Formats: sequence, C-alpha cells, structure tokens
Amino acid sequence: MTMENSKAQLFIKRLMSNPALENYPVLQKEEQIIHFLKVNAKQLYPTLTSANFFPGENWNSIYHMLHQALISESNLVLFPELENVIDGKIDFAFIHFLEEKKQDITILKKTILEFLKRILLKPQTRQSFIGPYTAILKNLPDPYLDESFERKKYIHFELTKVQKLKMGREEVKNFILALLLLKPSIHLLTAVLSEEESTLQSGVVNRQFADKAFTILTNQLKTIPGRLIRTALDSSLSFPENKQVAATSRITSIFAARGINYRRLTKVDRGADSPDKSWFNIARRNYKFYGFDINMLDEFYKIAAENSW
Amino acid sequence: MSRKITVFFESLVIAAILLVLVQMFLEDFAVVAGWTMDIRKKLAISSFCFDLFFTIEFLTRLFYAIANKKTYYYLTRGRGWIDFFASVPLLIFNSGPMMLTLFLTGSTVMGIGGIFNVLKVIKAIRIARVLRFLRIIKIFGKIRYVESIMAQRHIATITTISITVIVFSLFGVSFVTGSTDLPGLDTSVYRQQLAIAETLAGTETNSSKFNSTIRYLDKLDNNLLIVKKGGKALYSRYKNGYYGEHFGPGDYSYFKEKNLELFFDTRVISIQNSIQNLIFFLIVLLTVTAFLVFYSPHFAITVTDPLHVMEHGFRDRNYNLEVKIPEKYAQDDVFRVAKQYNEHFLPLKDRTAVQEEDSVLNIDMQDIENIMPG
Repeated sequence: MTMENSKAQLFIKRLMSNPALENYPVLQKEEQIIHFLKVNAKQLYPTLTSANFFPGENWNSIYHMLHQALISESNLVLFPELENVIDGKIDFAFIHFLEEKKQDITILKKTILEFLKRILLKPQTRQSFIGPYTAILKNLPDPYLDESFERKKYIHFELTKVQKLKMGREEVKNFILALLLLKPSIHLLTAVLSEEESTLQSGVVNRQFADKAFTILTNQLKTIPGRLIRTALDSSLSFPENKQVAATSRITSIFAARGINYRRLTKVDRGADSPDKSWFNIARRNYKFYGFDINMLDEFYKIAAENSW
Repeated sequence: MSRKITVFFESLVIAAILLVLVQMFLEDFAVVAGWTMDIRKKLAISSFCFDLFFTIEFLTRLFYAIANKKTYYYLTRGRGWIDFFASVPLLIFNSGPMMLTLFLTGSTVMGIGGIFNVLKVIKAIRIARVLRFLRIIKIFGKIRYVESIMAQRHIATITTISITVIVFSLFGVSFVTGSTDLPGLDTSVYRQQLAIAETLAGTETNSSKFNSTIRYLDKLDNNLLIVKKGGKALYSRYKNGYYGEHFGPGDYSYFKEKNLELFFDTRVISIQNSIQNLIFFLIVLLTVTAFLVFYSPHFAITVTDPLHVMEHGFRDRNYNLEVKIPEKYAQDDVFRVAKQYNEHFLPLKDRTAVQEEDSVLNIDMQDIENIMPG
C-alpha cells in the first residue's frame, strides 16, 4: 500500500466513525460520504493538498483515492455482514418449495455471496442495494407478512391462490428476504445498456431488459433456481404495466423502496402520522411512478394504520 | 445586567407569583376559618411584602423599558399594565394602609362608620390581586402542548381578555355599589348597629332601663361587643384577651354618642367578603386552568401541531411524515391545507428526491473539523 493510500484510508476511517453517521447502515454511510466529498470538494481541496495529505495532487485523483479507500473500508464491514445474513438470517429451506430438484443449500449460499461480492463492485449496484439491504437488516417485511397471513385478504390470496406458493408463512418471509438480497442483480447489465434503455429514474426496468438479465444470470448462476432469479429480477418491473408480476416480486419491490432512507424514529412529532403509515400513503399516491401494486399498498397501509407503525 | 442575574430574578419573580397565589388564598381563608389574629397579621404582613416586591419589580421593569425606549411596548404588549394593576394600587390602597392600621395605635380608623363607603371602594381594589393569575402566563412555555410561541401568545391573549373582563366588571360593580348606598349585607348590619346604639343612647339616663336593655341585647344580639360609659367598660361580651386574638381592622365597628362608646362585631361582613373573594379566586383559577388544560391542547392539536409537521416537511428533505387529520376537524382551514400537503406535496417531494438522485446529506464540514488538521 502506498503512503497516499494509507493516508486516504485513515481519512476515510475517521470520516466513517463520525458521530453524525453513527446510526447509518454501512451502505448509507458510504453514500453519505461520497455525497459529502462531492458537495464539499472546494472546501476540502486546500486541506487535502496540504503536506499532511496529498500535496500536488489534483481533485480527481484525490477523489479517486478516497473513493477506492471508502469502498474497501465499507467492504470490510459489508461482506462479513452479508455472509452473516446469508448464513444466519435467511433460511434457504424455502428453495425446496420452488424446485423439485434437490438443492445443495451450502453451495447456493456460497454462489449468492460470491455473486453479490462481484456485482457490488459496481457503484450503481451498491446504491440500489441500500434499500433492499436496509429492509433485510431491519426485517421490514416481517410484521407485515405476519399480519397479511392473519388477515387472509388480498396479499394472502395473491401469494397462495394466484402465485400458488405451497410454502408456509416463515418460508414466504425468507423467500422475500432472499429476493431483497438478489434484487440488485438487475444491475448486472446497467453498464452494458444505456441509461434510457435500462432503467427509469424510479428504478423500474422494462420487460426486455429483465429478460436479458434473466438469460445471462441463469447461465452464470446455475446453482440458483431460475424461479428465484426471475422473481428477483421481476421486482424491478412496473406492476401496472406488467400484471403478471408475481406477488413476492411486488412485495419485494415495495419493501426495497421502504428501506431507502428508512430510519427508526424514536419520537414521532406530535400531530404527525406514524412513519410507516405515512410512507405507505405517499407510496399509494406514487404507485404508478414506482410501479407498485396499489392493492398491496392499500393493505399494508391499513396494517400500518391499525398498528400505529 | 448579566444573563445569570436576569435568569435568577426571573426565576425569583415566577416563584413569587406562585407563592402570592397561595398567600392570596390563605389570607381570605383565614378570615372564613376564624384563624387567630396572629396568623392573620402574619398573612397581612406577607401581603404587604409581596405588594412591595411586585411594585419594585414593576418600577424596575418600567425603568429598563424607559431606558431602552420601549415604554409603550412594555406597558401594552409586554403586559406592563398587568404588572402595574397587580402591584402599585394594591400597595398604596390596600396592604399599605392595612400595615398602618395594624401597627399604629389608631386601629379604630377601620371601624369608623363615616368612612364605610370609601373603605368599600378601596376594598374593591383588592380584586386587582387576581390579575396576578395572568402573570403565570410566563410559565405557560414550560407546559406540555404550549411550546409554540404562537400558541403561548394566543392562549395568553384569550386568558388575559377573559380574566381582565371578569376583574374589571367586578371592580366596576364593587365601585358602583361601594360609592352609592345600595342596600347590602354591610349597610343592613350597620343600620341595625346604629339602631341599637340609638336605643342605648336613649336609655342612658335611666340606669335600670339601660342595664336591662344591655342584658336584653346580650341575649338577642351577639354583635354587641363592648359598652363603655365615661371611658369605663359597663359590658363586655368576651374577656379582654379574646378581642386582641380574634379581632382585626374591619372586624368591628365603633360608635360614640356623648359619654357612651359602643363596639360591634362586624366579622360577618369580613367573612362574607372573604367568601366572595374565595369564590372569585376559584372562578379565576378554574378559568385559567380550563384554558391551560382544555384549550391549550385543543389549540395545539388543531393549529400548531399540524403547522409544525408541515413546516418540518417543507424544511427537511428527509422528513416524510404526514399530518394526522382528525376526522371531526377535517374541514378546518389548517387541515384542508394539511390535506393538500399530505396528498400533493409529500408525494411530489418523494418523486423529486428520486429524480434528483443525490441523497440528503446529513454531515457537513463542521462535523469533520476534528479530522481536518490546520
């Protein structure tokens, strides 16, 4: 490691341990720091070109060094965390309900981890992974799926009668967590295709794009059941435009979005509605923009309202 | 004046306001409960001390207001007029003279019937003491639901209007009834005592008739306290020590006709006045409490809370909580605006945030000063 790299690493380490970022998950911390470096470039440049840091370097090369250092520092936290999520948090037994073919769960887990490590090298993937990853870490879908199974209304009907899932409630929960984990796989092609071709600003992709990604991914990840990949990729499709999107994909899409900017509030302002109720109501109004299923949002909204979530 | 000293004096004033409310209650309660003169004297002295304290406080504030060219502001919007009415007139017309009568030998001044009406008018000034309730508005900010400056101002205004109307109405009524000969308990008692005095004066030359009248009065009218003839006591209802212990200024009346001197018990009037004062005290206390307990939360729920939530949402890009709209107030102007905020602004803000791509930055240069040498 060069002297410059170690200086960059030290600077990033200190930034990451800043109390203002204390409660952020690692990817949100990373996003905040990248944004901070961009916004404050002019103020940071004189200090960062001083003798203590990188004398004589231009801003682009300083930013590059800091960015590299940030990614590697984040990965030191992110990858072991991901390993824990895959190994401990998600029970992949639901796979047996997706494919009759006997699956080796250990190999499956290893494949998913390796795949994630690979695609998470791309900045777009990292950014798009913030929401799903927060949703996994904070177990966001869990209480809503419990309630949906108790109520046996639209969501339950879509899961059991329309999608015809033969698995139990716990398996469905783990299925959704696995889908959240694989949701950023849609970015496998984002560098290949142009922005216009691939994604809209709301993160929604078109059917052709998802199909291309599916073809490539199934070839690359033979140990992961095709149905799991398909459902994960479909979570980036707009439901109002693709009515055949599976219920699990729609749920994944909603909770991945919920995870973006999610912060557990210790105190809600007096006169304000609860965080989840507010979020679902806003999502109901923007459902076309994000491609959400309005009926699912209605049910989640009711659940949030009744439980003051 | 340094901030620490200012804070100290402000805290002292707030403590004094709370204490004086207790003192006001006890002063009248002591009369109704028949507490000894010793306790009542102490309460009267404390009343004088409070009036003096608030007068000094008012003059100090006025002095600073004049020095800072804010006299008009202080006397109007700064509620200096309340400070004035709740201090200076009370000291001059109420507790000050009371101190004089308590400590000067001529305590009978309070009992002379000739100045009865003047006394009634002066007593009416005591009503102004209740204006001190308005001064506890200073403490409103520390009460739940009333953190907002706007809420404090509105609640203070409505409380001030209500209490001032009550106080000045009662003061006006007391002034009119006190300065005219409208019949009341005091005039009826005074007329009765005057009739007794005239009857006794009429029998003064006939010793046996005079004595039998006193015996007759002793049984029928327990208001006759002492009868003196030529400076010598002929009759006394109680032992001497009892009078000093239970009678203060305003508790007795004194009549003199030639050689004859008569003292009558007027505590029934004092008790009646004190009961009225306590009822008045209670009405004002309940009015202020009602505004604080019922109106403040109502104001907060229907005005300031939704406004705060919306202001937070407009100011903070990260904030996306909706305004809670109670069904029964949904048609209120504030909640109609809140509906627009919930249904249009927040969804639009959410979409705009996605389009702008950049996340909301929650750290700034100040946060990293410690890691930026030089």
